[in-house]
Amino acid sequence: MRYWIIVVTALFLTACATSVERVATDSTIDLSGAWNDTDSRLVAEEMIQDALSRPWLTDYTNRTGQRPAVIVGTVRNLSHEHINVNTFVADMERALVNSGRVDFVASRGERSEIREERIDQDLNAREDTRNAAGQELGADFMLKGQINTIIDVEGKEQVRYYQVDLTLISLADNRKVWLGQKKIKKYVKNAKLRY
Amino acid sequence: MVMVTPAWVQRLQVTGLLAGVLLIGGCASWKVNQAAAELASVGPGATLERLESIQVPDRDRAQYLLNTGILKLYLGDWTGSREDLQAAKRIMQSLQAVSVSENFAAMTTNETLRSYDGTPTDRVLVHVMLALGYLFSGDPDGARVEMLQANVTMQTLAGDDSTRGQLASARFLAGVVYERQGEWDDALISYRHAYRILRERGETIPEALQISLLNLTRRQGFADEYRQLQQAFGREAQLPETGEGEWLLLYFDAVVSRKTESRISVYNAEVDTMISVVMPQYPQGYYQPRHLTLAAPEQRQRSEVIENLEVRAREDLAAEQAKHLAAATVRAVAKYKMVQKAQSQNDIGGVLMNIASVATEQADIRSWNMLPASLQVARLRAPATAPVQLLETGQPLPALQALGSRRLALVMASSLTDHPFIYPPPPASAVTPAPDATDEKGESHEAP
Repeated sequence: MRYWIIVVTALFLTACATSVERVATDSTIDLSGAWNDTDSRLVAEEMIQDALSRPWLTDYTNRTGQRPAVIVGTVRNLSHEHINVNTFVADMERALVNSGRVDFVASRGERSEIREERIDQDLNAREDTRNAAGQELGADFMLKGQINTIIDVEGKEQVRYYQVDLTLISLADNRKVWLGQKKIKKYVKNAKLRY
Repeated sequence: MVMVTPAWVQRLQVTGLLAGVLLIGGCASWKVNQAAAELASVGPGATLERLESIQVPDRDRAQYLLNTGILKLYLGDWTGSREDLQAAKRIMQSLQAVSVSENFAAMTTNETLRSYDGTPTDRVLVHVMLALGYLFSGDPDGARVEMLQANVTMQTLAGDDSTRGQLASARFLAGVVYERQGEWDDALISYRHAYRILRERGETIPEALQISLLNLTRRQGFADEYRQLQQAFGREAQLPETGEGEWLLLYFDAVVSRKTESRISVYNAEVDTMISVVMPQYPQGYYQPRHLTLAAPEQRQRSEVIENLEVRAREDLAAEQAKHLAAATVRAVAKYKMVQKAQSQNDIGGVLMNIASVATEQADIRSWNMLPASLQVARLRAPATAPVQLLETGQPLPALQALGSRRLALVMASSLTDHPFIYPPPPASAVTPAPDATDEKGESHEAP
């Protein structure tokens, strides 16, 4: 009898202990059914592949002989969840810049800090290392977008539909030169019982 | 003659330990209730400090976080409020599945052994409070997310009773959030929902909602609907003209009532047993709303109740009362059987078991008891260049033009504090920091 008490107690304590396991960053682990890292990665992969394979890029390069400069505008979260859109936008930036075919310029939020630093350089940096004002690269295109969701709920079951739309707009003439879209649909069944 | 053996001493210790553990848990609930009782007199700052010194069991965590979250909202600590309310929301969502162990404990000991998972009103109102926190911290998209979630929560709660878990205040705030972002269609749909809920409950339609509905149906060109609303309300739309904008006041009045315990104890001399049945209840409500008036140079608008939380709290309890009574009856029978069994074995055992059964019988008096007693709204058209005032408190609000928003500015005020908050944030020159105002991240925007 005592033996069983010890075994059950040991099992109980094991169940209560915190456990940490390292997993691959591209593994899919769905816990709640909410937006997660996998969704963000899927969106980034789809958008990068699509953006690099569409004619806007070659059209621009052939016409001007230069790489297009892109600025990230507002990507609005119009979904039912507090989604950090920066994760897939940053993935996109990295992949497009690393492809060597697109330049990204600092966004509005980032620019002010850089300009402050440039002003500071003017005052404090050695003359031959200063960066002059007025030499910024102007963007040719602005990336804008939004995430929308439709949630259908019945009892403990939910269908969660996400649609991410990104648009690349030419700053020269407001033309929309690329429209990227990724849809994700999930069926979530919540538990009816718990311990 | 009764023999006191080591086994009985051990049983006495176990009984004492069990009763002790339960009383400690009950003590935390009592302390939280006491803090809520004194909230109106000592204010949210002192109450928050007091709450933070109370250790609550894990099963009361959601209630605790709801209370700390709303207190931080009253104080303008948007980040702290958001963290606490989001955590409370997550806990309440995770507790929606039925717990086998908690049900067993509740059926054999008392209802306080269930984890607090919130009333239908709590589950919707947490989105409302979060949305206000997001909005006043300058994140309208975050507020929009909460309003969409409130919509899903209300859909989930809507059953045969079309008003259960449906809050006109949540629908109204959703309308305001959409309207501020220029999403007129969604705003109108939300205002219509608010109107429907109030009508189905037979409650007064606040003028702010009347104006919102009239303005939007007029703006969107829904002539028939506009005409019907015009007849129903006996007034015209008040669309701002050139050089004008609108103020919207959200006013939290007083503090909602706390639950108390109603106990019936019966001593049966024949079987020498005391039986207790306890039920949670709300005391007789004497709440009389007090109002706050928005005053522009030529017109004024008094706040009106859009959500009477005194009534909602009582409705939620009444809806659960049959379940509570059934559980109390089952528990009384189970405890009576246990006492009888103990008595048949040993007199002292019977007495101890009877004491434990009565001592452990506690009503679940937990609730989100630091909410306001009512949520009130007012909507006023005002010249963009003229300052506006909160009349009863004499607090001036900057001119709409100074806020860079000619369209619609919001002011949130509470009867518990002297600091109304405004959105969009006024420029630094228009703000006189209050002595105890939180402004570390430039998020709290007290009126000058």
